[in-house]
Amino acid sequence: MSEDARPLLEVSGLVKRYGGLVAIDRVDLKVPPGAIAGVIGPNGAGKSTLIGLIGGALTPSEGTIRLDGEDVTRLPASERARAGIGRTYQIPRPFLDMTVEENLEVAQYSIAPFIGAAAARKERAALLERAGLADASSLPARALPLLRRKRLEVARALALKPRVLLLDEVGAGLVDSEISELIALIRSISDHRTAIVIVEHVIRVVRECCGRSLVLNFGKMLIEGPTSEILANDQVAAVYLGTGGARTRADDKAAVPPEGAIHVRAPVEARTTLAALIAPPAASAKAPLLELQNVAAGYGQARVLRGVSMRLQEGEAIAVLGANGAGKTTLARVIAGAVAPTAGALRIEGRDVAGLAPHRIAALGVAHCMEGRRIFPTLSVEENLLVTARNGDATQVRERLQAAYDLFPILAERKMQIGTSLSGGQQQMLAIARALMARPRLVIFDEISLGLAPVIMDKLYDALALLKNARMTLILIEQDVDRALALADRAYVLEHGVFALSGAAREIAKDPRLRHVYIGDAD
Amino acid sequence: MIGKAAAGGVVETAVILIVAAALWFAPAFAGDYWLQIGFRALIYLSLAEGWNLMAGSAGLVSLGASCFVGLGAYVVFGLLNKLDMPPPLALALAAAAGGALAAFVSPALFRLRGLYFTVGTLALAELLRLTMINVSLFGGATGIFLAQDPPDLPALFHCALVVAFLASLAITFCARTRASVILRAVRDDEDAAAQMGVRPFRVKLAAFALASAISAMAGGVQAIKLGAIEPYGIFGLQWSIDVLSMAIIGGVGLRLGPLVGVIFVIALGELLADYPEAHVAIAGVILIVLIRFAPRGVVGLVAYQKLASRRPATA
Amino acid sequence: MPDIGVALSTIASGVLLGGILALTALGLSIVLGVMRLVNLAHGEFLVLGAYAGLFFLQFTGVDPLLGLPVIALLLAAFAIPLYRWLLQPLADRGPEAQMMTMFAVSIILQNLFVLAFSADTRSIARDYAALPLTLGPITVPLIYLIGFAISVIAILIVNWVVSSTAFGRDLRASAADAEAAATMGVDVKSVRMLTFALGVACAGMGGALIGAAFQFGPSSGGAYLLNSLAVVVLGGLGNVLGTLAGGLVLGALQSLGGLTLGDGYRDLVGMALFLAVLAFRPDGFLARGRP
Repeated sequence: MSEDARPLLEVSGLVKRYGGLVAIDRVDLKVPPGAIAGVIGPNGAGKSTLIGLIGGALTPSEGTIRLDGEDVTRLPASERARAGIGRTYQIPRPFLDMTVEENLEVAQYSIAPFIGAAAARKERAALLERAGLADASSLPARALPLLRRKRLEVARALALKPRVLLLDEVGAGLVDSEISELIALIRSISDHRTAIVIVEHVIRVVRECCGRSLVLNFGKMLIEGPTSEILANDQVAAVYLGTGGARTRADDKAAVPPEGAIHVRAPVEARTTLAALIAPPAASAKAPLLELQNVAAGYGQARVLRGVSMRLQEGEAIAVLGANGAGKTTLARVIAGAVAPTAGALRIEGRDVAGLAPHRIAALGVAHCMEGRRIFPTLSVEENLLVTARNGDATQVRERLQAAYDLFPILAERKMQIGTSLSGGQQQMLAIARALMARPRLVIFDEISLGLAPVIMDKLYDALALLKNARMTLILIEQDVDRALALADRAYVLEHGVFALSGAAREIAKDPRLRHVYIGDAD
Repeated sequence: MIGKAAAGGVVETAVILIVAAALWFAPAFAGDYWLQIGFRALIYLSLAEGWNLMAGSAGLVSLGASCFVGLGAYVVFGLLNKLDMPPPLALALAAAAGGALAAFVSPALFRLRGLYFTVGTLALAELLRLTMINVSLFGGATGIFLAQDPPDLPALFHCALVVAFLASLAITFCARTRASVILRAVRDDEDAAAQMGVRPFRVKLAAFALASAISAMAGGVQAIKLGAIEPYGIFGLQWSIDVLSMAIIGGVGLRLGPLVGVIFVIALGELLADYPEAHVAIAGVILIVLIRFAPRGVVGLVAYQKLASRRPATA
Repeated sequence: MPDIGVALSTIASGVLLGGILALTALGLSIVLGVMRLVNLAHGEFLVLGAYAGLFFLQFTGVDPLLGLPVIALLLAAFAIPLYRWLLQPLADRGPEAQMMTMFAVSIILQNLFVLAFSADTRSIARDYAALPLTLGPITVPLIYLIGFAISVIAILIVNWVVSSTAFGRDLRASAADAEAAATMGVDVKSVRMLTFALGVACAGMGGALIGAAFQFGPSSGGAYLLNSLAVVVLGGLGNVLGTLAGGLVLGALQSLGGLTLGDGYRDLVGMALFLAVLAFRPDGFLARGRP
C-alpha cells in the first residue's frame, strides 16, 4: 500500500476512559483508500472499543477521527453512517423480527429514502448473493443461525455503501472453508475507493487480507507495521500466549517451566489459615467430583459446546484453554448451572445436576469466579464476600472472612468501601475471595488475568498456587496459556466447541498444535 | 418483496376507502344505539391505531393517551367558543397542537427509555390535567361548556369516521411503505439502527407526533359530542388505560390488532352491560390471561395458529 | 401574604405529610429497584391497606395504627400468591408483560373494591385524627405527627433490613446483577418473591396511615400511584433513605406551592417537579452524576 496516499480514515491520539479505566490509550490509525488494516490483540485489549469509537457508538474522551479529511469525532453514529462509515457488531445485532431483506432495506432507505424500488431490489439481491444469503432473503433474521447472522451483519453494512468498513470479529467460530469464503468476500469488497478495518482473532483472515496491522494490548498500541512482520514478531506471540511465557523464556529457552516453578511467595503457614476456605475432602471418594459426558449447550440458535467430556477428581487442577469464542466461558456457565446443557450428562459426585438452578449447584460446593469479576456495585467489599458465605454459622463465617483477608490483606483495608471503587486487580482479588467464601469443593476461575498487569497476575497466581497446594479442586479458564499450564495438572484445549487437545499440562505445553489453535501457522 | 408490500398497501388503502365509504351511509340504516356504539368504536380505533404505531412500531409504550385526548378537547372548545371557528378547522388545529406538544416534550421524554418513558407519559397527562383544574382561564375544575349546539348524532358519526379514516390511512402509510422498515428497526434495536444511518430521535418523534395528532383530533370530536368537558373526565387515566388494553388485547404491533381489540372490548362491554360492576374486572382477567398465554394478542393467537397448522406442510 | 404562623404551620404539615408519602412510596421503590417492575397496582395495594385498617378497627376494636404489623402481614400473604402465579411466569418476558399484568390486577382490584365495599368514600374514624397540635406558632394536625413518626420508624426498620441483614444483602445483590447473584448461591426467585411481599406490606402500612389521615375510596389508587412515583423518582429508585428524603422534599414543596400559588397547585407543583427530575436526573436528585 502506498504510504503517501491521503488516508480515508485517520484516527489520531484516540483515548477512551471509563472512570479510572483507560480502555483505549492514544491510538493512531491511518487507512488509505483501497487498504485493509488489521487490528489484533488479546481479549480485553480494547479492539471492540476502538470499533465502537470509530463507528460512533462511543464518544472518545480525547483525540480525533477524520473521514476523508472531515472531522467526524463529535458526530453521532447515525451521521457517521450517513457519511460513509459502516460497521458490524462482534455479536450480531440484526433486527430479529424483520426479514433478511428488510434488514438491508433499513440501511438503503435511511441513506436514500427515494431510491427506485427496482434498483433497490437489484442492489439487495446482489448483496445477498455476495454474502451467500440469497436463499434466506425472506426469512426472519431470528431464524438465522449465528454464522449466517454474521454474514447478514456484513451485507447490512455494505448496503450503506460505506467508504470505510469496520468488521468486528466476523471470522470467529467459522470453520476453514467458511473462512476461505469470508476472505474472498472481504477481498471482493475492497476496491480503490474503500478502506477496511478488520478486528479479528482468526489470524488467517488478517494474514491473507491485511497489508498492515496494529497490535493492541491493554488499550495501547504495541506495534504497527506490515502484517507479515507483525505476525512473525516474538513480542506479539507473547501477548497472545501470555506473560508467563515471556518471563520463563527470558531466563530459560525451554517454553515449559520446570516442575515446581509455581511462584509461591506467601509463607507456607498460610496453608493452615486457608483451611477455613477449603471444604474437607469427601469421606468416601466414590464418583469423580465432576464429570461431563458429551455435554452440548448454546444460546438459542447458536450451539457453542458441541459434545465435551471431562472427569475431574478431588484435588486436581485443570486448565481449559482455547481461542476467543471457542466456548470456554460457556463451559464454565454450564458447570455452574447458569446455562442448562441441551444434551449430555453433568454429574457432581455421581449425582446428575443438569438443569439444576445455579444456587442449588452452588450449594453442592461449586464456586464460580465469573468472567468480568461481576462485583456487586452496591455492596461493600465485606458484603460482597458475605453473599457467598451461606452454609456456615457466625463463627465459621468469621473464620472464613479472616482467612480471605489473610490471603488478600488489601481487602481488609478496604472492607467498608463499595466493591467497584477498587482497582481492577483488587476487584479480581475480591472476586476470587468471594468465590472461596462459600468454602467450596470446586472453584472455576474464569479469565482472572484478563486486562491485568503482569505484576498483579503474579499475585493472583501465587494465591491460586496456595489453593492448589492445599488440595483445592480447581478449573482454570485462562487466556494466559503459560500461566495456566504452569499451575494445572491437566489441560483441555477447546476449539469450535469440542476438545481438540487434552492431556497432562506439560505435554500440552510442548504440543505444537496449541500455538496453531491460537494464532494459526505463523509461517 | 417490496412490490408485494406496496401492492398490499394499495389493497389495504382500497379496503379502508371502501369500508369508510360504506360506513358513511350507515346513519341512513342504523339506529341510534348502533351509531352510538359505532362512534365510540371509531374514536377508540383512532386512539388505538396511534398507540399501536408508537408501541408496535417505535417501541414507545405510552400511558399518556388521555393527555392528548384532553388537549384536543380543550383546544377545540377554545377555538369554537372564542373564535367561532368552523369545526373541521378547529379539529385540524387540535391535531397540530397535539403534534406540537409531542415535539415540545419529546427531548425530555425520549431521554427516558423503556419503563421510564411510560411513567413519564403518565406524569405528563397528570400535569396537564392539574393545570386545567387550576387555571381558571380553562374553566377550572368545573370545565367548559360548548357555546354552540352540538351537531346531531349522524354528523358526529361522520366526524369520527373521518378521523378514524385519516388515522387508518396514516398507519397504513407507516406500515406498508419504506417508513415501516425504519420504524421497526428503531423498535428492535435503536443503536444498531443508528449504525445503519437511521436517526432514532427523529423517527421516534415522527411516530409520537403523528399518534398525538390523531389522539388530539379524536379527543376534539369526543368533546364536541359531550358538549361539556371537565378535566377529571377528559384527562382521565381511563382513556390511556382503555386504549392500552384494547391494543394489547388485539395484538401489539399487528396491523389488525387495534381494530380487533376495539371490537373485542366494546363487544365485551355490551355483552356485560347488564353487569356493569363486573365489566372492568372481567376485562382485567382477560388481559392477564392474554398477556400470559397470547403475548401477541387475539390477532397474534389466530395468526400463529394458522402458521402452526401450515408449518408441517412446509417443513 | 399569609401570616408567618400559617406559613410555618403549612410547611411543617407538608414535611410531616411528606414522611407519610415516603412510606406509601417505599413499596413501589423496593419493587422497582429489585424487580425493575413499575407496579401499576401499587395504588390499589395502598387502598387495600386502608380498607384493611378500616375493617381491622371495625372487627377488633383495636386502633389500626397499633395493628399495622398485622396489616403488613396480611398484605404480604396476599402478595405472595400474586407473585407466584402472575408475575413469576413472566419473569423472562421483559418488564412490559409484568407491568401490564399488574395494571390488570389494579383494575380488577378497583372493581372488587366497589363490589365488596361500595363506591362510598370512607375514612378510618379516630377521634385523634382531627385534633390539632400546637407548638408555639406552629399548628399541625396530630394525626400527621403520629403518621410521620410511624412512617419514619417503619422506613428505618426497612432500611435496616435492606442494608444490614443477610436477606437485604441478597436483595441488593439480586438487584445489581441477578445472574451473578444466582451463581454466588442466592435463590433469586425467592428473593424476588419476598421483596415483592415486603413492598406490598409497606404499601399496606402506608395505606392504613393514609386512610387514618384522609378519606379514601375504591378509585383513590391512581392518585396515590402518581404521588408515590413522584417520591420514588425524586429519591432514586430502590434507595430506601432516598425515598424518605424524596417524600420530605415533595411534601415541603407541595405545601410551599399550595401556600404561594393557591391550594389547588399542590399536586401540580409535585407533578412538575416529578417530570423535571425524571427528565434531567432519572436516577433521583440525590444520585451522584452518572459515571
